Amino acid sequence: MTYALDGIRVLEIGTFVSAPYCGKLFAGYGADVIKVEPPGGDIARAHGPFRNGEPHPETSALFLYLNTGKRSVELDLRTPAGLDAFYRMVEQADVVIENFQPRDAQALGVKYDRIREVNPHAVVVSITAYGQDGPYADYRTNNLTAFAMGGQMYITGTQEGGPLKNGGYQADYQGGLNAFSGAMLALTAAERDGEGQHVDISVQHCMAPLLESGIPVYSYLGRWMPFRRGNHMASFIGIYPCTDGHLGIHLMPRNWKPFLETIDRMDLYEDPRFKTQADRTVHNDELMAEFFAWAAGETKKDIYERAGRMRAPIAYVHTMADLLESPQLRERGFIQQITHPVAGEASYPGPPWWLGPDGWRPEPAPLLGADTEVVLTDVAGLDERQIAALREERMVSV
Amino acid sequence: MTAPLDGVRVVDLTMVWAGPFGTRMLGDYGAEVIKVESPGQWDLLRALGQIPRTEERWWNKSAYFNHNNRDKYSFALDLGKAEGREVLLELCRQSDVLVENYRTDVMDNFGLSYEAVREANPDIIYVSMPGHGKSGPEKDYVAYGTNVEQLAGLVSLSGYEGGEPMKTGFSYGDPMAGTALVSAVCLALRKRRLEGHGSFVELAQRENLTAFVGEWMVDYSMNGIERQPTGNRHPHMAPHGCYPCAGYDNWVTVACQDDDEFAALAKVLEQPELSEDERFATAAGRKEHEQELDALIAAWTSQRGHYEAMHILQRARVTAGAVLTIPEVMSDPQLRYRGGWVEHSHPDAGTWEMEAPPWQLSRTPGHIRMHAPRFGEHNSYVLRDVLGLSEERIAELYSSGVTSDDPEKSLHQ
Repeated sequence: MTYALDGIRVLEIGTFVSAPYCGKLFAGYGADVIKVEPPGGDIARAHGPFRNGEPHPETSALFLYLNTGKRSVELDLRTPAGLDAFYRMVEQADVVIENFQPRDAQALGVKYDRIREVNPHAVVVSITAYGQDGPYADYRTNNLTAFAMGGQMYITGTQEGGPLKNGGYQADYQGGLNAFSGAMLALTAAERDGEGQHVDISVQHCMAPLLESGIPVYSYLGRWMPFRRGNHMASFIGIYPCTDGHLGIHLMPRNWKPFLETIDRMDLYEDPRFKTQADRTVHNDELMAEFFAWAAGETKKDIYERAGRMRAPIAYVHTMADLLESPQLRERGFIQQITHPVAGEASYPGPPWWLGPDGWRPEPAPLLGADTEVVLTDVAGLDERQIAALREERMVSV
Repeated sequence: MTAPLDGVRVVDLTMVWAGPFGTRMLGDYGAEVIKVESPGQWDLLRALGQIPRTEERWWNKSAYFNHNNRDKYSFALDLGKAEGREVLLELCRQSDVLVENYRTDVMDNFGLSYEAVREANPDIIYVSMPGHGKSGPEKDYVAYGTNVEQLAGLVSLSGYEGGEPMKTGFSYGDPMAGTALVSAVCLALRKRRLEGHGSFVELAQRENLTAFVGEWMVDYSMNGIERQPTGNRHPHMAPHGCYPCAGYDNWVTVACQDDDEFAALAKVLEQPELSEDERFATAAGRKEHEQELDALIAAWTSQRGHYEAMHILQRARVTAGAVLTIPEVMSDPQLRYRGGWVEHSHPDAGTWEMEAPPWQLSRTPGHIRMHAPRFGEHNSYVLRDVLGLSEERIAELYSSGVTSDDPEKSLHQ
């Protein structure tokens, strides 16, 4: 079996979500990903949620998930010997991923120019909220503020409730996925030309164009909708409570008839108020009242299955329990059991896309510093004395 | 400088958002993307541009279409006809990648399954982008844009505190699948270099988005607790929220990651004593008293504009970001500085601004090289230059309606 990234070595000096998600994808598709953690580890280790709610650096679900299949080196880049060891590893790397703020990266000595000098073949991926330069490049950011500045927050939530972020760390994940695609393009070029480059990912730049038709329509026609539409783009695109959860419908014109057949309301098919999508838009509130009344009597899994058979776009809001029980995800092998030496067994999402049935490596996240000695020996080429000195220095600096 | 995907030819059978957005980025970074539209079944986005049907060639003027289909060629071909299928297979012989996002059974019904295309070209990389996947009990279920995030578990985690699950502001799964397509294609191209033959890639949109809430799946499987929506709050950090500003519907987000940052915030609020206040001196204390903190911050932000509040807070090194509207992201100084929007011209649609390629690659940057194609604009290029068909055969394709220079106008009225 060949993994798509066989033979690729990645150095990840990223923390929290964006760079680790990028690194996770590299590891999943077969690269050797060396995660360089600061003394004490990636802050995601301190973040949780933890097994049984008890903080422990090896049982944070956030860390466990985002760092599957990597090796961990605990190294203090603030010491000269630590930084030197880092650059020795850079010599052996195809890709370097980092998500420091530009001025923190400079202060730490993680600089593109120096990496390029040491290894011109390397692809260096920098993930930040705003990019490497510009008026906000040094502004402090996190997932919340990036979500706001990327334009996605203004359109999320209800008008009265105010702008809302989506669950979890969506701006950070978008950064990680965009970084992976940008990095893969640069790696493709590097393997062809023998020359690396700097891939500068601005999460704001990635997020802002994605507001459905919002940007094209505003830019071209000067029109935009200055409000939030909550759970309903229209009566026929929205979320409705049912007896045991929530249903989501998304009806295009051609789905109208199969939808009414599914919910056994063909009387509405003849109703002149709802003949065309335009009619349904005009009589939006009346139709919404019908849908609220209908959904309130349904149970989510039954109607989902019936709608599936009858080709009507009715889904239900899957909880985490629903995901784990999903017959679809289970049959496809998307839910994968991974056993971690400290955190134990847990269920993880599988590959975000499939490069054949065996194209993805489901392996646990590393213990903090588990591979320090091996990697410093094999990759950085340090001898026992140098490693011992590093260990000493780290103790001094911590 | 040679673009990363220079020399890679892509047959693009995708429509609407996820697929076209992804293949457009392949085009941004150098691939030759040939968008295949049937004269009788063409891309819905051409019809969603709010262009009056009285305008000449209105189907070429939809900005929604034109943003997501630049850097492509348009080739009109009816795959439902035997001759159309034959021409498509000939095109696949000359291509590296095929991307499709039809309902799961459509390609099989056309006789264009992976196996059929592989027979024509064993080197082809065949990418399917279905909602649920090409296998499993739900594979034929219909799922559109907003359904994907419901199926992915994201909606169950989103919403105001104590409120019901909340959708995202857009069909979030679509652009995430499109973004993933670029790396999926690059990975498959590398695999082809290693193995010497093509492969099948399956990008199920709900799986791709489920990966964005993976930590909550791990958490649930370890702890058995369903987490409820927490609005804009954070599990540990406080303050961490969205605050009203002066004017109508203006907002700024503010977060404090540690004690120093909170002390800086307290100074901006002109209440430096807050950082000594025992309610707020520690992260745990701030979390416990976050509602009181929210009121103090809102009292300050509501006296200021949202950009103004952000800049004042940032000068004090406090994490803050204005909630930008659509016009504001287009005028934002940072995005302008980065060249995030570029002027663009189209022979039918005129001149306006569209987004630059998203990722800045220092040595091989992406470019907007071509305007989005007018329907059937490159029929001649594909039939003559790429496929080398005889004039006789081309005339037959036109007369039998397998290809056409005009779309069937009644489709998206």
